[in-house]
Amino acid sequence: MTAEEWDIILLSLKVSGVAVLATLPVAFAIAWLLARARFPGKLLLDAFVHLPLVLPPVVMGWLLLIAFGNNGPIGRWFAEWVGVTFMFRWTGAALAAAIMALPLMVRAMRLSIEAVDPRLEAAARTLGASPLRTFFTITLPLARPGLLAGAVLGFARSIGEFGATITFVSNIPGETRTIPLAIYGALQIPGNEAAVTRLAIIAVLLSLGALLVSEWLARRSGFGKGGHVL
Amino acid sequence: MPSVLRVYLGLLLACLLLVAPVPAFARGPLVLAAASLQEAMNDAAKAWTARRHEAPVLSFAGSSALARQIEAGAPADLFISADEEWMDHVADKGLLKPGTRASFLTNRIVLIVPAGSRANLRIGRDFPLAKALGNSRLAMADPNAVPAGRYGKAALMALGVWPSVQNRIAIAENVRAALLLVERGEAPFGIVYATDARASSKVRVVGVFPANSHSPVSYPIATLKASKHPDAEAFRRFLLSREGKAIFARRGFSVR
Repeated sequence: MTAEEWDIILLSLKVSGVAVLATLPVAFAIAWLLARARFPGKLLLDAFVHLPLVLPPVVMGWLLLIAFGNNGPIGRWFAEWVGVTFMFRWTGAALAAAIMALPLMVRAMRLSIEAVDPRLEAAARTLGASPLRTFFTITLPLARPGLLAGAVLGFARSIGEFGATITFVSNIPGETRTIPLAIYGALQIPGNEAAVTRLAIIAVLLSLGALLVSEWLARRSGFGKGGHVL
Repeated sequence: MPSVLRVYLGLLLACLLLVAPVPAFARGPLVLAAASLQEAMNDAAKAWTARRHEAPVLSFAGSSALARQIEAGAPADLFISADEEWMDHVADKGLLKPGTRASFLTNRIVLIVPAGSRANLRIGRDFPLAKALGNSRLAMADPNAVPAGRYGKAALMALGVWPSVQNRIAIAENVRAALLLVERGEAPFGIVYATDARASSKVRVVGVFPANSHSPVSYPIATLKASKHPDAEAFRRFLLSREGKAIFARRGFSVR
């Protein structure tokens, strides 16, 4: 393993880690809305959240380019008000990974929230707890295993994210060259099989590890009749 | 049979009939062509079908990606690469039909800016590209693998500019992806083929790289050993004919 390859792995871990951590509250909020709330347009929200799951990743990348690029409306807002740009930077790679992982995280979390017996929440309310207190002391702790399972699943998805990333922020060493992009670039050069194999093995190990942890957490929480999140 | 099972089998049968294998040659030959050839090859395919042949199936990508696919056994008929090296690579693996290789097009590489940009640079020895880029990036196809990127890197090296910009490249997967970045204004400068700039109304050419700053851009075409389509050779000859070459010339390529 060369130093360059370690850099690629570290970048992948950073991009995926940030993507999942930043998306965690968003995914949980959406999951809670879909599980518990009733409002007009709920079906639409559900559909939109699942869009990255069904659209070709290249299309997602192109949409991200149009919206979050330096010349895109949301990209300009971010640059002006938050001071963050996405083009050609690891932040863009993290954004692409986050968007692609969101549907999986929402699905896993929603399942676990729905598994929380609403009568427990109702009981807490009758005993005088405010909605907020009920949420933090009853709902959240009971849903936590599913939360973790969703996060780990999202991490596994982020590690493998390619199409949206390369279309949105290209393949820049040190910034956006995560493991899948590095493998793709290495494949273009003849005689690079050894490097490709090493990176591919790392990718498999990381994803497999994350999936196994996610399954174990899901079973521990016991939600769904079979205790599965996949 | 329970009705659910019947419905399922019925749907499955319907899908299979929809995609029932057509006789293998109801479609024309499969051509793997460099990304920069998109418009010209589409024109050529249209002209070919107008002569009452089956429409050729065209697949565009960076020549490096195509060479890899051929190496991996892609069942294609013709390969048109954007440089001689990738054709050599495929030839060295014994994957070309002997006697079918011919170099028939040339191109120039140019420096482009978004159409609305007022930037102007004169290309020459040590020209201030790094300064003009500032904090942003130069959009190029992969300078290590894709022909458009390789020519661009060679030109920048010949002009002494490469060291100052090599860490500020936005590495795109092929030359058209690089073009897209400049079209959208995400990269203030880009290096693409003259023909790509011509195909897009959203970019403007600020300079043409001197022809002697890189090896001549040469597009070779060849028939692959795996080719089975009876029309493949005829289509190849058509592309190399006067009429075929005229189609490419209309899109800005120079013909040999």
